This record gives sequence, C-alpha cells and structure tokens, in this order.
Amino acid sequence: MGRSDMTYPSTTLASTTAKDRPVISRRNRRDWLAGYLFVLPDALGLLVFVGLPMLLALGIGFFEVDGFGSYKFVAFKNYARMWHDPLFWSALRVTVLYAVMLVPALYVSGLGLALLVQRGGRFATVIRAMFFAPQMVSLVVVALVWQILLVEKVGAIGRLAAAIGWGPVSFLGDPNLALITLVAVSVWFMMGFYMLIFLGGLQDIPGEYYEAAKIDGAGPVTSFWYITLPLLRPTSFFVLLVSIVMAAAGGQVFDLIYVMTNGGPVNATAALIVYIYKQAFQLGAFGYASAMASLLVVMLMLVTLLLFALTRGGRFDHD
Amino acid sequence: MTDRQTSPAKSGLTRRRVLQGGAALAGGIAGLPFINRIARAQGAALKFWQFYAPGGDVKPQVKWFEDMVAGWNASHDVKVELEYVTNSEYMNGSKLSTAFASGEGPDIFIISPGDFLRYYNGGVLADLTPYIDDVAKADFPESVIANRMVDGKIYGVPMEVEPMAFYYSVKAFEEAGLNENDVPKTWDELLEVAKKLTTPNRYGVLFETTPGYYQNFTWYPFLWQGGGEFQGKDGKSAFDSPATVQALKLWQDAIKSGAAPRQVLSGGFDIVANLGAGYCAMQNVGVWGISAMDNNAKNMPYGIFKLPTPANGKYVTVGGGWAFVANAKGKNPEAAARFCAWALASKDQDSIQRVVDWCTVAKSDMPPRNSALAAGGAAFTNGKMGVFSKEVHPGTRAEPRVPPEVYKIISDAIQAAQLGGADPQQTATAASQQLDAFLASYSGAPIL
Repeated sequence: MGRSDMTYPSTTLASTTAKDRPVISRRNRRDWLAGYLFVLPDALGLLVFVGLPMLLALGIGFFEVDGFGSYKFVAFKNYARMWHDPLFWSALRVTVLYAVMLVPALYVSGLGLALLVQRGGRFATVIRAMFFAPQMVSLVVVALVWQILLVEKVGAIGRLAAAIGWGPVSFLGDPNLALITLVAVSVWFMMGFYMLIFLGGLQDIPGEYYEAAKIDGAGPVTSFWYITLPLLRPTSFFVLLVSIVMAAAGGQVFDLIYVMTNGGPVNATAALIVYIYKQAFQLGAFGYASAMASLLVVMLMLVTLLLFALTRGGRFDHD
Repeated sequence: MTDRQTSPAKSGLTRRRVLQGGAALAGGIAGLPFINRIARAQGAALKFWQFYAPGGDVKPQVKWFEDMVAGWNASHDVKVELEYVTNSEYMNGSKLSTAFASGEGPDIFIISPGDFLRYYNGGVLADLTPYIDDVAKADFPESVIANRMVDGKIYGVPMEVEPMAFYYSVKAFEEAGLNENDVPKTWDELLEVAKKLTTPNRYGVLFETTPGYYQNFTWYPFLWQGGGEFQGKDGKSAFDSPATVQALKLWQDAIKSGAAPRQVLSGGFDIVANLGAGYCAMQNVGVWGISAMDNNAKNMPYGIFKLPTPANGKYVTVGGGWAFVANAKGKNPEAAARFCAWALASKDQDSIQRVVDWCTVAKSDMPPRNSALAAGGAAFTNGKMGVFSKEVHPGTRAEPRVPPEVYKIISDAIQAAQLGGADPQQTATAASQQLDAFLASYSGAPIL
C-alpha cells in the first residue's frame, strides 16, 4: 500500500474537515523523516557538486573569462563562436560517432556476457570476476597498458597485426583507426560493469515463464525475444541511459582519450568533453568552454527525454 | 498524534529559525574563502609550485630544490615552501589553471616560454627587474632572456636552456653497416639513413606525434631552417611560405616512407622509452636526454648529432627551458620576486654555482648565464655535453612565446600534415588564414 492510500481518503480535500482528516501516525512520520534524511546527503551532494557548478557554468558561458579574474559580459558571443568553430563541430561529430559505436556494443556485449554467465556452473564466479576485473584497475593504468599493447611494431597487438599480414599498423596513430580502437578498449573495460547490471535484471525474471514457454514449444531464441528482452526493459532503459551519458560526458571516456591519444591524431579522437577541457585548461577560454559544457548538458537532457519518450521510462507495457 | 505534538512551532523548528539557520550557513560558506585569504596572507610561507621537489623521483633534482629553499629560508624572514605537482598535472592538467582562476595561484612557480604570454597577458607575472643587478642582467644572453621580457622588463628568470638535437643508437648504425661518419647532415640524408635503419621491429627516426606544446616546440627549428616564420615583421601571418611547406612535408615524408612511427612510446621527449628501448634508431630529443640515458640506459652506446638542414637552409635549433616567475597577485609579490632573483639571477657566486649545479648535477642542460658556462668548465665541454656546447648550442634560437590560440593553429597544421596526410601547401595556407584572423584582434604583449 502506498503512503497516499494510508493518509488520504477518497473524498476531496476541500470537503474534508479537520476532524475527518486522517492523522499521520507517529511511526509513519518517523519513517517519512528517516527516508528524507537518508536521501539528504546525496541530494546535498548533487546540489553542491553538480547542480550549482552547472548553474555557474551556464552563467560563465555568457562571459569572456581569461582565467585570471577578468570577466567580460559577452551575451551569446560564445554560443555564436561555436557555430563558426570547425573544431567544435569536429568534436561533436567524434562524440556522436563514439556514442553510436559504443552504446550498442556495450549493450550487446554486456547482455551477451550476462547470458553466458547466468547459468551458473563450476567456474561461473571466476568467469564473472574475470570480466569485471578491468573495473578494479585504474583507468589510467588500463590506458597505458593498451597504449603499449597497440603500438606498431613492438606492441603485442601491433606484432600480431603484422604477423597476419596487416603490415605495420598504427591503431592509435592512424586517424581512420584511432576512434574505433578507443571504442574497442572502452568496451573491453566497461562490459563487465554492464554484465553485472544485466545479470541483476535477468535474475528478476521468474523461471516459471521460461518453463511455461518451453512446454508451449518455444526454443531458446523465441524465449529470448518474447520473454527475456521484454522483461529486461527497465534494465535496458537504465543501461542505455547510463551508457549514452557516459559516452558523451563520462569521466572514464575522458581519461581514456586523454591518456591514449590526447585527442589526436588530427583531432580524430577529440570528443567534445576533451575539447571542452582543452579550451578551458590549456587555452584559457573558460567562458567558451562553459558555453560548450552547457550546450552538452542541454543535448544530453534532450537525448534523455527522447529515450524516456521512446521507452516510456523503461516501464512495461501493462504499467 | 495531535496538532500539539506535530506543530513545528512547538518542536522548535519554525520557518523563521530554518531561514535564519540557512542564512547563517550560507554566510559561513561564503565567508570561508575570505577568512582563508586573511589566514593565508598572515605570515604563511610563500608557496613554490613546480614538478621537481619534494615529491620528485630524481634525487639530485629534489636535493637541488631543497638546498636552494633551505638557503633562502636560513637568511630571510619570509619563508618559501616547496609544493610538488606531478609533471603531467603541471604541464597538461588543470591544477595551475584552476588555482589562478580561483585567485589561489602559487606565489612562485615555473613556466616555459610556450606559457609566458598566457600568464603575462593575464597580469599575474611580477616584474623582477628591480631585484636583478645590472651585471647579472648582462650575464643572460639576449637569445635566452628575450622571450621572458616585455618593454625591457624581466618577468622570468630562466633556469636552463634545452636545445634540441638527434640521438642515435650506435648498435643500430652498426647493424645497418653505418658508422658515425654517416650521421645525416641534410634532410634528404636524414630520410635516407632512416630508411636504412628501419627494420620490421624498429623505426629509423622518431619525431613527436602527440599533439601539444611539446610537438610544436620540436617542429619550430625545421620551420626556421628554411627561413620560415609564423609571424612577419608587419605583424601579419607569414606561415604560408615555402619554408613552412617543406617543414610540414619533411615530417609527413618520414611517416609516409615507413621510416617514422605514427605513435611514440610514453612521449617524444622520453628517450629511454623510445631510443633506449630499441623502438627507433634515431630520435629528435633535447639535451636532457644525456642524463636520462646515463641514469636509465647506462649500457647503451649512443651518439648525438645536430639537426640536419634542408638544401639552401641554415642550421638552427630551438632552445626551450623553464623559468622562475613570481605571482603579481600573490600574498607577497615583492618577496617572491626577490626570491627568483636571489636564486638564479644574483651576481653572487652562490647563485652562479646554483645554475651550474642544476645544469650539470641535477640535469644535463645548457646554462642560461655566461658566467655559469665559464664556471662549469669541463662539465660543459667534455663528452656528450661537449657535443651540445660546441656543435648544437651555438645555433640555438629561443623557443617562441605564442598565445594559446596560435599554438593550437600551428599544432593542428602539424598534425594534419604529419598524421592526416593533408597537402602541406593547403595546410599552410589554411593555417595562415586562421593566424591572420587571430592576429588582427590580438592585443597582448608582443609575440616573439
């Protein structure tokens, strides 16, 4: 029973008298308070470390800021600059491409691994731990190790490529390969995390559904399409939302790109978040960087709304 | 539950009290930075940010910094305190930028010429001239001090000069049937020798490939050798020139020929990770490579040669190096400026010897002062350092100081030609147009 069911009768508030109004019990009130107190630290943290900086960034986006205390109001000049900045459009293109490649890859790999390890078995725990293991290592270390593995001629993967006749190939130095290589490393690093989320979703699906389907003659593929996927809708919504936001503005993506390519070669991996960072901290254009960051937030909000609309917030059809 | 029991007024939580509490909390939070600044200004030691000590892993460098600060603190009332920032965070991170943006910048810090205009135009560099004796001023060659000066005033005291050259592996040369007489003297020879040295497991020559200030720094001498500049005397862009095109083409040809890699190990400045590890046979690195090899690749025989030149070109190399600067908006700019002058630009023998020690004991660098070069004697003229002081350094030109916007335009041009395979002429023309657009609106200190 929800709280509203307990506290308010079906009569309208206007017609209820003080005498009729149900009284919130002391215990309910304490539960209510406890709930809010539990949420309070997180809410405060979000407000102070996310909400306020976002508002400040929005404000700074209307100023020309040199990073040494000088603020000059320039209205929408920073936003107009984006329109004429080819590197901004290049960064936006890289971000979209990265997300378009990464999000489906993470979805498929995460779900695939979860299906693979959910059956249990002798080594299930070990295999789960192995897939999740990259998450336990610092991303900077991961990036450095992959950088060495991928380097042409001397890296293990570089040598393998040469051995199979691909010649000396530079995965991170070729503008045509660098982004897709970063996507591959990102998938390798993050798929274990999404595997765990999908595992949680899979374990919520009652086994009776599969048994009934089996009795009706459904094979594994049919069961997957008509039971697993539809019942994973809330999990899928969460995975898609989190991976899109991560691909566009995640700290992990930034770390990986920053260490492995620094946005190169020829800006081929300079995603918007990297370009924003460079404009702010290397070129000193804090106002312009803030304007771009604000626009990125708006774009992510729009994508989130779109995703909500398309999937009804991950709810089931009968909800 | 009764109204009496639930009334906020009775329980002490009135709306007014909540508002009062909120206001007090907000006031407290807002006042913290102010209180912090007062506390900071009252007798606290001057903070000296750099990437050497006390947390650095090269002991002689840590000792040099600690000895210097101990020497100052023993004889001055205003104390100095070292604050270590990791190399990568200092050069490419956000720590310094955010510190200045929030008005909490260090009192003393070090900068390279590439960053000079950003800080000078931001108004945070203190004038050091009043604290430097005329004799000491004259001790700094024009080519070393000019890019730290504006309108005749000195805003940074250089601690080193780091000219670029080529290092080569003697073993790789021998394997290819080459010897020291085959070291390339022209660009054509450089590419030819690089091809001979290239094997399935090794590249012949290595230029920096990672975009950044360092890559620009290493590319400048190739631009200058053909007579190129990025800004003409009329203040307009001079980037669209045959010299620019041939410099872009050289790096592009090295990649296209398969003799140079598209990716470097660790960083192009790291000689041990590249030449030392056998990834390449020749590497474009600065004078610091000597101490790096001596400390970390002792058993590897290597040689040094000055940068080859293009046909009809002249020999030039670039000399980078960092400088001590004082924060004009710090808590005691005068004391900070005095410290910079005392440490590296005093006519006292201690100051001169400090420069010698930095360039010979702590690192392998060329000294920024004539007196230090003389005082160092054999340390600068023998062995590998002798090659630098006699052959490489005489052609040194100071690293240009450019605004960040100019750096980015040049960086994109280098990357486009080197790794993107773009036409060098079109790249130079496009970059030149961007430079002109920027220079037309630039109003800071002169670009040098």
